[in-house]
Amino acid sequence: MRPENYEAQRQPPSNEYELNFGPNHPGIEGNYALKVKLHGDIVLEAKADGGYLHRGFEKLMEQRLWIQNIALVPRICVPDPSPMELCYSMAVEELCGLKVPQRAQWLRVMQLELSRIAAHLFTFGGHAATTGMYSTMYWGVADRDLLLDLFEEFTGGRVYSIYNIPGGVRRELPEGFLQRLTETLDYIESRLPDYDNLFFKNQVFVKRAKGTGVMSREQALEWGVTGPNLRATGLAFDVRRDDPYLVYDQLAFDIPVEESGDAWARTLVRRKELMESIRILRQVVEILPDIHGPIRAPIPNPLAWNVPAGETYTRVESSKGELCYYVVSNGGPKPYRVHVRGPSSMHAVQVLEKMSVGSRIEDIAQTMFSLDACPPEVDR
Amino acid sequence: MVMSRLQKIPVVEEKKGNPLARVFDDLVRFCRSRSLFILHYCTGCGAIELPPAMTSRFDMERLGIQPMVSPRQADILLITGYVSIKTLKRVILTYEQMGSPKYVVGICSCTVNGGMYWQSYATAKKLDEYMPVDLYIAGCMPRPEAVISGLQKLMDRIKNGEADSWQDYYRNYDYYLGNQQKLFGEDWQTPTDIITEAKHYELMGEGTLGQHTRLLEQHQQPLEALEMRLGHKLKEPVE
Repeated sequence: MRPENYEAQRQPPSNEYELNFGPNHPGIEGNYALKVKLHGDIVLEAKADGGYLHRGFEKLMEQRLWIQNIALVPRICVPDPSPMELCYSMAVEELCGLKVPQRAQWLRVMQLELSRIAAHLFTFGGHAATTGMYSTMYWGVADRDLLLDLFEEFTGGRVYSIYNIPGGVRRELPEGFLQRLTETLDYIESRLPDYDNLFFKNQVFVKRAKGTGVMSREQALEWGVTGPNLRATGLAFDVRRDDPYLVYDQLAFDIPVEESGDAWARTLVRRKELMESIRILRQVVEILPDIHGPIRAPIPNPLAWNVPAGETYTRVESSKGELCYYVVSNGGPKPYRVHVRGPSSMHAVQVLEKMSVGSRIEDIAQTMFSLDACPPEVDR
Repeated sequence: MVMSRLQKIPVVEEKKGNPLARVFDDLVRFCRSRSLFILHYCTGCGAIELPPAMTSRFDMERLGIQPMVSPRQADILLITGYVSIKTLKRVILTYEQMGSPKYVVGICSCTVNGGMYWQSYATAKKLDEYMPVDLYIAGCMPRPEAVISGLQKLMDRIKNGEADSWQDYYRNYDYYLGNQQKLFGEDWQTPTDIITEAKHYELMGEGTLGQHTRLLEQHQQPLEALEMRLGHKLKEPVE
């Protein structure tokens, strides 16, 4: 690596060159890499290079008890861990035929929507940083921290809450929690106009994001795109409304849709989803005090728990897209096979590879953050 | 199997030089501890607690700690969580490129003993078998307060001249290289010539050279083979 050991290499005259984009790069999200071929600063070809975060989750889960896996699954997606544990718990409940009490279902909705707001604020921060607006990153991360304080209060964990177990949730709410939740929601809502002025209406962002990373509705469906990225192409599909789980069918909320399918539209869909999540949480705060009863269905001794044989497929809407678990049990104390269908493995590999082609090199980071891809979930 | 850490040769520190130089050294160390640049490389899930620690709420910048994008200008290599084998190669390459003095901080339980992934086939369990570590911050994952408190401890250690793990890497290179070779294969090579650097810093210890570094020379590709692979001459013959 010392300059005296190297001599200039003679290359044929050409403007094409290859570049490693990541894993040690400030523009990439997490520990992930792209190998790009460039002509000047226009991308000719991009190849995703994952595997830096591979831990072999699906194998690890086969070697642990059903109840131990609850602690393992949130680690699959770090910025938005709550849907992971919920989806796994739902799968185990379906295999065992457990009926979750009403109050636990409302508490789970509250946790999911809090997690969605936190994940979106974090994404706005990252996206703003790729366009050079670091103030939004500082604000977004600091406001997300208020939500993490709430998480810590009612689940015990700041990032990984491990709040769900098959059959219900682990704890009852602390006293006066709903009041503090309302205050935090009021604060975040009062901040949104500031975010609009700083980021969403900022011409630096609008001009760079409009027309970057465009995909049509047909392409999105063909590539397996889900979640806010799909809704940014004009298709109003949301698992919460179209295949309701928990108590989402009793809640009133809209599905925000944008038409243009570029980075700007995707970010705007998330911005509107933030409002919808706040709306859902306000309904939860209103209804939750009237719902009494247990928070957990009785389960057998978790250390010697043989889940009945069978297979199941559950899906929930995480902040990144549609998250599914395919769980097979052979009647033993451990899962026979668990497959995770995460949304990011489509967004960060095939979609990002195709979208980067033809864009400028500085827009790769923005495309990746606007897709809200989560590398730990790609590699698992 | 990995070699026991007991086989390593301990570093013997000797006080030398005149008192004025020692005062100057203290001053340098004090200044060094107050301006630390963390390499911006997120290896695992612990990285999610770094943005809160860096930004408005906990604000690590008031301690003089800032992220830095390039390894050449960074002082601290934060290993935030589990390192898979593929990442570990990049981590070692990055570590060897950083300029001395450099400090390694292992965050999360996974760097200490494998943590949650103790039985995983894809992760390296103990980080200090592959590179020297100055400080561990345990927890899964440690809170921003814990990260800041850990880095303050590192600052104290730098100020007192105790954070000298980078010298350990030169003095016991054979031990670290041996463990790396066990993981990546015997033909594992890095572009940085650690032995020449150790000679340059006068940090040749009894553990610098050994059976594993001899293997390094054996597997070193001759220039002709490299030229064959690249398809052109690296050095023009001198006439």
